[in-house]
Amino acid sequence: MKRCTTDELQAIVGRMPTTRDEDWKYTDLTRARDISSRWLTMGDGTPSSVLDEEIQRITESVEASWLVVANGEIRNLATVSGVTVDKLDEAPAGHHALAELNAALLKEGLRIVVEGTIDKPIGILVIDGTEDTSVSQAYIEVALANHSTASVIEYHASLGDADQYANTVVSLVVGDGATANHVRVQNRARNHVQTGRTDISVGKDANFRSAGFDLGGGLIRNDIVINISNAGADVSFDGLYLAGEGQHIDNHTRVDHRVGPAISKQEYRGILNGKCRCIWNGKAIVHEGADGTDADQANHNLLLSDKAEIDAKPELEIYTDDVKCSHGTTVGQLDETSLFYLRSRGLDREHATQILTHAFAAGIVARAPVEAAKEEITRLMEARLARMIQTDDNFSS
Amino acid sequence: MLEINNLKSRIGDTEILRGLSLSVNPGEVHAIMGPNGSGKSTLAQVVAGHQDYEVTGGSVTYKGQDLLELEPEERAREGIFLGFQYPVEIPGVNNAYLLKAALNAKRKHAGLDEIDAFEFLKTAREKMATLDMDPKFLNRGVNEGFSGGEKKRNEILQMAMLEPELAILDETDSGLDIDALKAVANGVNSLRNPDRAIVLVTHYQRLLDYIEPDFVHVLSEGQIIKSGDKSLALELEEKGYDWVREAASA
Repeated sequence: MKRCTTDELQAIVGRMPTTRDEDWKYTDLTRARDISSRWLTMGDGTPSSVLDEEIQRITESVEASWLVVANGEIRNLATVSGVTVDKLDEAPAGHHALAELNAALLKEGLRIVVEGTIDKPIGILVIDGTEDTSVSQAYIEVALANHSTASVIEYHASLGDADQYANTVVSLVVGDGATANHVRVQNRARNHVQTGRTDISVGKDANFRSAGFDLGGGLIRNDIVINISNAGADVSFDGLYLAGEGQHIDNHTRVDHRVGPAISKQEYRGILNGKCRCIWNGKAIVHEGADGTDADQANHNLLLSDKAEIDAKPELEIYTDDVKCSHGTTVGQLDETSLFYLRSRGLDREHATQILTHAFAAGIVARAPVEAAKEEITRLMEARLARMIQTDDNFSS
Repeated sequence: MLEINNLKSRIGDTEILRGLSLSVNPGEVHAIMGPNGSGKSTLAQVVAGHQDYEVTGGSVTYKGQDLLELEPEERAREGIFLGFQYPVEIPGVNNAYLLKAALNAKRKHAGLDEIDAFEFLKTAREKMATLDMDPKFLNRGVNEGFSGGEKKRNEILQMAMLEPELAILDETDSGLDIDALKAVANGVNSLRNPDRAIVLVTHYQRLLDYIEPDFVHVLSEGQIIKSGDKSLALELEEKGYDWVREAASA
């Protein structure tokens, strides 16, 4: 790492996106830039004393073959038959500003190659915990060979009160006829910043199923870019974001249908309470000649407070005729009739609200393609919802 | 048990109840009948505590306390149950979960421990059998995709599990075929006892063939204009609501 001088690194930090960039107009990375600049002058701090404990808790609570990236360093390389895991000394030169930052500051990257059918999920825990200001990078390549099958759990977590910025670049290649099941759990501390970009390339007749859960974090930006350049690809990805007071969660998705027939379906749901902001921007581009494309996107939001803000933006660009595309976006409050029904059965308003929000979110959990992760997701989701609702004093009554 | 005195209520700017008085004692079954728009459902909703209905006058006393001061959930825990005319579908919330949560809310209020899981299932299955309901309904979303008849049976199941002291059943007979009607009536009749009062809100006399009321009241334009025994329902069926209205205004 630090193949550049500090001045060069400061210049790279300076090139991070700003709200003047169309794709970033709702998400201001000033905090990430400030943390990065400060950290460049200070260097790495002391690792958190409870980091090991938390790693143990997470890896024991979800049944998977775990690989751990802690404060940007690879902790262990699990040996799993059919899976080759390598440490990378560097990431490829990035083609966008955050990939450039990632490549410049990366300590160690991971490459995972899967052949055949792997039953036990591969877990990748990206965790940060320091006593001082910190910046960390994770670079992860996952490649599923043709006709292979694997489940991958990405788990992002952080600890501590100090300022922290984590930047992740993931590349996932799903070979021809392969099936990839993917779950991303983000449960960072609520004062921490994370940017993450995942590029997915889907092979001929390949299946990609994914669900992302943003259950924590202060300022979170996820970019998912899916490239379909082979016929017969079947892609579905869902997302759930829970945002309470002070949180900002931005999900940008982009699907490029370059060849048909192929299917892409996405459904994102969000629950917002208190002063917070979420963004869902779903772009689907059906390129010329991608006949037989079936692209569907949906985004549903539950706003429990009038201080919460959601920017929901579906973007469809279609350059061919033989396509089936649809999108739907809803923003609403809890249904008063349902609330009254539950209260008339003796449940207080808080409990009734928890039940209804839980039901709204549970649909996404139920469809998560990696069974082993569901219990942990449900636990985190329930705890977060309970807290979001309890600490709220702004219910529309 | 329930004393309603000169109750006035409106929704928005529309006055619906215009001085309604009714007294219900333990063990009694009352039928409230009346044409559409007479205020039957409003009465049921006001007693259950729906916030959209503003009470502009009069009083409602339940077991000696001012009912209008209580939140809907407090009324439920104190033993009031409203069977909804249009039971609400709540996808993603399992029927068993709601039943258990409702029961436990009531038990906690009464200072009792939570119900034992085995005991709960056993009781639920027994009650479902009397209502001719498939036990698999326990694991379905609350009223999710239920037919009209299934929803009404589910209301009666909730009532049977919660064992209210005062049950108000709002148009429980509407949209039921004869088998469902019998099953629902059977469920209601099995709950009749000297400590429990039941108020049936209905448009038609049909339900009263299966659940015999002690009192029948005719509601018109937000007031009870005539009260009698079960023969009043038959008379209404024969002569229509206009007959009572004319008699009352004469």
